[in-house]
Amino acid sequence: MPFGPPKLATPQEISGFLAAVERRAYKQAMFATRDNDAALDIVQDAMLKLVENYAGKPAAELPMLFQRILQNTIYDHFRRQKVRNTWTTLLSAFGKGDEKDDDYDPLETLAAKTESNAAADPAAQYEQAHVVRMIEQALSRLPARQREAFLLRYWEELDVAEAAAAMGCSEGSVKTHCSRAVHALAEMLKAKGLQL
Amino acid sequence: MTDDHEKFAKKITTYLDAGTAEIKSGTAYRLQQARAAALASLAPGAPRRAPQTALARAFAGGSSGDSGDSGSFWISGRLWFGILLIAAVSFAFQQWRVVQQTRELEELDAQILTSDLPIDAYLDRGFQTWLTRREP
Repeated sequence: MPFGPPKLATPQEISGFLAAVERRAYKQAMFATRDNDAALDIVQDAMLKLVENYAGKPAAELPMLFQRILQNTIYDHFRRQKVRNTWTTLLSAFGKGDEKDDDYDPLETLAAKTESNAAADPAAQYEQAHVVRMIEQALSRLPARQREAFLLRYWEELDVAEAAAAMGCSEGSVKTHCSRAVHALAEMLKAKGLQL
Repeated sequence: MTDDHEKFAKKITTYLDAGTAEIKSGTAYRLQQARAAALASLAPGAPRRAPQTALARAFAGGSSGDSGDSGSFWISGRLWFGILLIAAVSFAFQQWRVVQQTRELEELDAQILTSDLPIDAYLDRGFQTWLTRREP
């Protein structure tokens, strides 16, 4: 059996990987931060870190490495936000109030063309969008570690060991978080009258 | 992990996938740009760029040109200089307000203490009436 150095990821593989993962990464950051700009910054930051620091790794390692970077970048965001909030509170007397209107982007009002034809019927499309929204809201309300474990295991399809490495915890913790997340999600959706 | 859990999770992730397909076009475009920026650093000899945050973009006046290392440094430098300046001015203003208030209170105390009128007079109900009656 030939043993040799593992095959390193080519630029095409890295590009393909990022293209495949970027939307899910954005959604993960959104579930955590509930802030569009922050989520985009987090994804951009994570992509740059992956390319700059781990481009020389085998393609098979990219998903786990990217998830680890993404989770750390989300934590960094919350750390920075904590420091920023301290300053904001300190200087609150000088605050100018709401600046949300400045960030209005007309492009945001247009939905991207969906790639699936599964819900071509407007009623079904509306129904699906409603269910998706309920599920996303429920996910946002989960404790951070449970949400993280659930998304890594089931959405990113990492195995328990990879999810544990990405989260920096034991495999047992991943299983516990996943189990609790599934129960909590089922309860929340049931309370809203949604049975999957 | 039971099969029921797996099935339930599978259904949830199917809906989540549908949610990613519904991402707004502006967001999808910005994600695409972020990916392109990350991949640009893969090119041989490409300068390493610091990620540009929304705040930094705002300070940079929305310019999207390639600023390279020095550009990022100046954006970052200007940003931090601005933040420090605002913090310093705010701190100085608060200190000035505290000093002013203390000085006003000291003046009031001194006036009351050096006045011939006893302090009790200010608490007397009839004193204000007497004062207004005496005014021309």
